[in-house]
Amino acid sequence: MNLREFNRILRQTLFLPILLLLALAGFAAWQIMRSSASVRAIDRSDELSAQIVELEKLIIDQETGLRGFQLTGDPKMLAPYQAAIDPINHHFDNLHQLMAGRAKQTGRLAEVRDRYQIWLGLAEGVLNKDPATLNDPQLNQHGKQLMDNVRTALDDLLQAESRVRKRRSDATLILERHEFAALVLAALVVGVFLGLFTRSRLHRVSRAYDATLEELERQAEEIYERRQWLQTTLESIGDAVIACNNDGKIEFMNAVAQSLTGWTGQEVLGRPLAEVFHIVNEETREEVENPVEKVFRQQTVVGLANHTVLISRQGKEYVIDDSAAPIRAQDGDTRGVVLVFRDVTEARRTEAALIAGEKLAVAGRLAASIAHEIHNPLDSVANLHFLLASEADSEKRAEYIQLAQQELGRTMQISRTLLSLYREPKAPVPVDLEELADGVLLLLERRLIQQGIQVERDFSEPSLVEGFPAELRQVFTNIFVNALEAAGKGGRIRIRIEPVPAEELRGTGTMVEVTDSGPGISSQAGENLFQPFFTTKGENGTGLGLWVSNGIVQKHGGTIRIANSSNDADLKGACVRVYLPAHTLASTATRATAHVS
Amino acid sequence: MGTVAASPLILCIDDEALGLQIRKAVLEQAGYRVLTALDGSAGLGLFFGQPVDGVILDYFMPGMDGGQVAEEMRRHRPEVPILLLSAYINLPSEVIQMVNFTVLKGEGPKELLDKVRQMLEMLHGGGGAR
Repeated sequence: MNLREFNRILRQTLFLPILLLLALAGFAAWQIMRSSASVRAIDRSDELSAQIVELEKLIIDQETGLRGFQLTGDPKMLAPYQAAIDPINHHFDNLHQLMAGRAKQTGRLAEVRDRYQIWLGLAEGVLNKDPATLNDPQLNQHGKQLMDNVRTALDDLLQAESRVRKRRSDATLILERHEFAALVLAALVVGVFLGLFTRSRLHRVSRAYDATLEELERQAEEIYERRQWLQTTLESIGDAVIACNNDGKIEFMNAVAQSLTGWTGQEVLGRPLAEVFHIVNEETREEVENPVEKVFRQQTVVGLANHTVLISRQGKEYVIDDSAAPIRAQDGDTRGVVLVFRDVTEARRTEAALIAGEKLAVAGRLAASIAHEIHNPLDSVANLHFLLASEADSEKRAEYIQLAQQELGRTMQISRTLLSLYREPKAPVPVDLEELADGVLLLLERRLIQQGIQVERDFSEPSLVEGFPAELRQVFTNIFVNALEAAGKGGRIRIRIEPVPAEELRGTGTMVEVTDSGPGISSQAGENLFQPFFTTKGENGTGLGLWVSNGIVQKHGGTIRIANSSNDADLKGACVRVYLPAHTLASTATRATAHVS
Repeated sequence: MGTVAASPLILCIDDEALGLQIRKAVLEQAGYRVLTALDGSAGLGLFFGQPVDGVILDYFMPGMDGGQVAEEMRRHRPEVPILLLSAYINLPSEVIQMVNFTVLKGEGPKELLDKVRQMLEMLHGGGGAR
């Protein structure tokens, strides 16, 4: 039921009773008018009766006067007689008028008048008679007879009138009774109707009210259910979720967030985020800016810097990865901030383990070379010792000893190079990239020779960069082995090392360019080269080499670009360009790989 | 084994020149006649041209590897014993099955000479002489 309908019902319940009561009042007025008409009729009867009595009295006065005159002969006695004549006529006329329309009564009145006229005739005769004969018994008898007739007629008239009055009075009584009954009935009907009508309208209103209540209840339930659903959804999210209002006070926190922060849902409500979400930099232990403030300032989604550590209420630390986003209403106003974060401690550990594993894998990839490089000279040394044991010629002995020393020197060089894969200084040191590249090539020499791969070294001048040599050696081992494997038997590799001047976005540094004669990189593979576990070598690759190498180079402030060589007719394979700045950004703290001392 | 004609002729193939030279000296001191080759194809040339009694073959070599060389030798003169010498442990099993002996580089000259002797004894045993 809408408001218009409700107003209509209000109007109905106001105006209909008024109209009905007006009708009832009209009916009552009509009844009253009817009953007053009959009362007036009774009054008329009463007036008629009174006049008839008056008439009779006047006639009797006349007769009395006449009788007095007859007895005394004194004309004075006739005074009442004379005086009554006019009033009597007047009364007759009056009565006639009053009885107009009533045939029977008019008839009776005419009878009275006739009889009176007859008596009057006799009376006039008496007046004109000789005074001596006035008192004639015969005449008197006659006069009395006539007067009795008049009286009889008058009585008839009076009785008839009182009969009429009685009839009228009875009728009025009945009428009044009927009126009363009709009024009661009408009032009853109106009352019942009004009652029923009001009841039906009230029913409608109450039904509508009930329906509205039901609808409200249903909506409330729906809203509650929806809220519950949202709550459950948020609670069930595997990441930690914290929602804050515009004042940075916490309004919601799901189970994961509770377990990470160490606070429970109830006690955090209304608390400032910074109190509950305590984050510091993993390395420097400095406070990290509250992401909520950052969102309010930038009005956009913000992510946390790397190496952010969440310190729980109990002091437990979690490396977290998070983002904070403004909560925008439909009108675009910011209503708060939602913070989503997850514990990446395990992921970071796994990553570190992968990086460390890759370092070992690099060594593994060199295993064949290393075995050769060490066992070959060792074999020679053992053989030389065997020869020395039975050799008497001092010249030959000297030659054998010299050869043994030569072979031992080579073994030691290999062993040093191998160890330098793991040994790392604490801070960046100057690294001669040419020397470093040569060291790696030395380890790969055997494989290169065996595969018949030609290596073209294009090293223009000594190139010093700052960095961690073991990590850089790992990078170049990866890149050289990739080139070697891509080039295949009888292939070619060109390694060019040249200084590069400062450019817009980078300082002076060194570019190491490795180009091979292999098949190059497919565009599909090109997109994924730096993704972990992406490999084109099937079971022979870990898929971590370039991922780790990229991390190391980036940490040094450098870049790795891989493209297919296009500017060289002979070498159409992949071209890897590693840029390393002369002054590194790397520090021990940011070193990507696990440190083995 | 007193006469020169009686001493066995061993073909030694290795791309490592210095190591090969020293190994030759060791074998010669043990009384063998030694032919050397720095790669597989040169070695096969000598193998087909000379009455070789045994072959000491390096596995990792540029060009043909030890496996390929051994396969070629087996195809033409399967009776000649082959000793495969390698610095690397994980050699393909079909190659190991094809040759008579394997010696790991670095095991020392005694082990090498032992295996060479066994190899030659096997050959003579097959030929009815000891």
